[in-house]
Amino acid sequence: MKFIGKLLKTVVLTALALFVSTFVIYMFNLENKLIYKVIYPFLQKHYNSQRRDRRI
Amino acid sequence: MKLKDLTNAAIAGIDKKLERFDPKWQAAHGKGGLRSRYQDKTGIARHREWRGVKDTFVDYTAWLNNLLSMGKMVVSAPIPVLKGFWEYRWMGSYLGTFAFIDRLFEGFRDEELKIAHMNMHCIVNSLTRKIALVLANDKRLGGGKLSDRMVPMDEVLPPLFMAGFKNLIPIPIQTLPEFIICDIDQHLEPYYIDVAESFGLAADVCSRCSAETGVAIDDDFPIVGKAVLTTNMPCNASEATSMFQRRRFGLPDFPVTMAMIHNEPGAHPYSTQVLKDAIAFIEEHYGEKYDWNALFARAEHMNEQNRIELEKWELFKTPYSALCGIAESLYRLYGWASVNGQEDQFTYNDRKVLKIMLDAYQRRHEPFGGTTRHRAFLWGPSAVYYTDFPTWVQNCWGINIVLNMDSTMGHNMISTTDPEQAIQDLALFSEKGVMRHHAVGGWENVNALWEWAKKFNCDMVIFNDNVSCKGMNGVHALMEEQARDLGFHFIFLEHDLEDCRTISRRDMRNIINNYMTVVLNEKPLDETLVDFDDSLAW
Repeated sequence: MKFIGKLLKTVVLTALALFVSTFVIYMFNLENKLIYKVIYPFLQKHYNSQRRDRRI
Repeated sequence: MKLKDLTNAAIAGIDKKLERFDPKWQAAHGKGGLRSRYQDKTGIARHREWRGVKDTFVDYTAWLNNLLSMGKMVVSAPIPVLKGFWEYRWMGSYLGTFAFIDRLFEGFRDEELKIAHMNMHCIVNSLTRKIALVLANDKRLGGGKLSDRMVPMDEVLPPLFMAGFKNLIPIPIQTLPEFIICDIDQHLEPYYIDVAESFGLAADVCSRCSAETGVAIDDDFPIVGKAVLTTNMPCNASEATSMFQRRRFGLPDFPVTMAMIHNEPGAHPYSTQVLKDAIAFIEEHYGEKYDWNALFARAEHMNEQNRIELEKWELFKTPYSALCGIAESLYRLYGWASVNGQEDQFTYNDRKVLKIMLDAYQRRHEPFGGTTRHRAFLWGPSAVYYTDFPTWVQNCWGINIVLNMDSTMGHNMISTTDPEQAIQDLALFSEKGVMRHHAVGGWENVNALWEWAKKFNCDMVIFNDNVSCKGMNGVHALMEEQARDLGFHFIFLEHDLEDCRTISRRDMRNIINNYMTVVLNEKPLDETLVDFDDSLAW
């Protein structure tokens, strides 16, 4: 019984933590800010440095 | 008091308390609006839209669902997906998907938000699976078990007829690296256009064809399959693209040259024969036998989707359709042109959406809080380049895009019992495909625009004017004259399809702004949306 109670508490707390963290990311648009300001420019730099064989 | 009533009362209390954060409330009270939360020029919002408790939760859940689909994509093929990100410029642009979805459904509430997300999730789910599948079998990245069972084919060729090869997987080859992604990131295609033009392709051809050519020359098409199906794509510049792509793939090809002027009865036997020849070509190169029962099984799905579409049209004719604008247009375009009856999830989704639409209709639910002032028929490829345009015209000027020309593509039923009848039906179905039916299939099809607009009780027609489309440049004055005679509000909307450097999104919006203020003397619903700079946005 004690174990089930503990398990239930862990599940509820984990679910709550997951909800809070994902909702904060969602509401403050954090993933888009990260992609736009960090990941996308980094990838563009990489793409611009690629050498392509464009002979036709 | 029941628990449900208590919850509703609590939610109403919170909504009242927080209403000042709702951009629609802000716009109605002169305290801001939908554009207030954006960082200058970037199209990146400081925070997401507060839509009230219920609708914010709907949006958040949809976001989570889409995130999950993307997670599944990476988990299903981690190495190929990472390699894809590293190898292909267009893969990097898919990172803008979340911002893209936010843009599309800005200002959506209630049933229209719910349906929009249901439709969008189908697209995300389908696309992410397709990306993982293609990258995991891309010969440039090392190939996979299914590489030689895939059939790359031109994306404007409806792939349903390929369902008869039950062991093969048709892949509309331009969809991933060019067509869908140009909606998500406006800065991607100018790069590919420049690559094509640096090889001497004229700068005044359709920018979509230039971009595809650039993708080919830059070796950014994934390589799958043993032979390729090209087509006489629906404009001259596209034909050139097909030729370039074919050379670059280095695979045997069969050009599926369907009839262009297809309203004449004599065209159908020709198109039917071309489809039969295409099937024979695939049988020869892949060593597979065509199975009519496999085709019939998928045709059942396409038929059901088309039957539901026709039912939706009856609702579109009324002011009570919860499905409209880009949620309708993009879904139908992707579901028809790319999926084409081959994925069950689209049929199941259609059934659910129709149910919600009927329910909303019975309650006489008016979308967008009844702020619609005009009902417009959009004759243009809205799902290319500036996809959130229908959302913007609704939020800024109250113009409801009831239906887009893409949605009128092939809706004839396909026989599910008789092979000869089925292939004839498929020929007609394919002739009514993207652009072939709308722009270059003869004057009758273009001129049918007025009938469509009348049938859907529209008072306005917005006609996209691709400045590089040779086919449509000639009809400008004719359409203007007819609009005047028939009494429609008529706006010619100039754009350069996928090249935002020629005509920007802001320029496009200003064309509408000018018409609404100068000709109709109307005031915007949301002042913050009238003129803004989104030149650095995806």
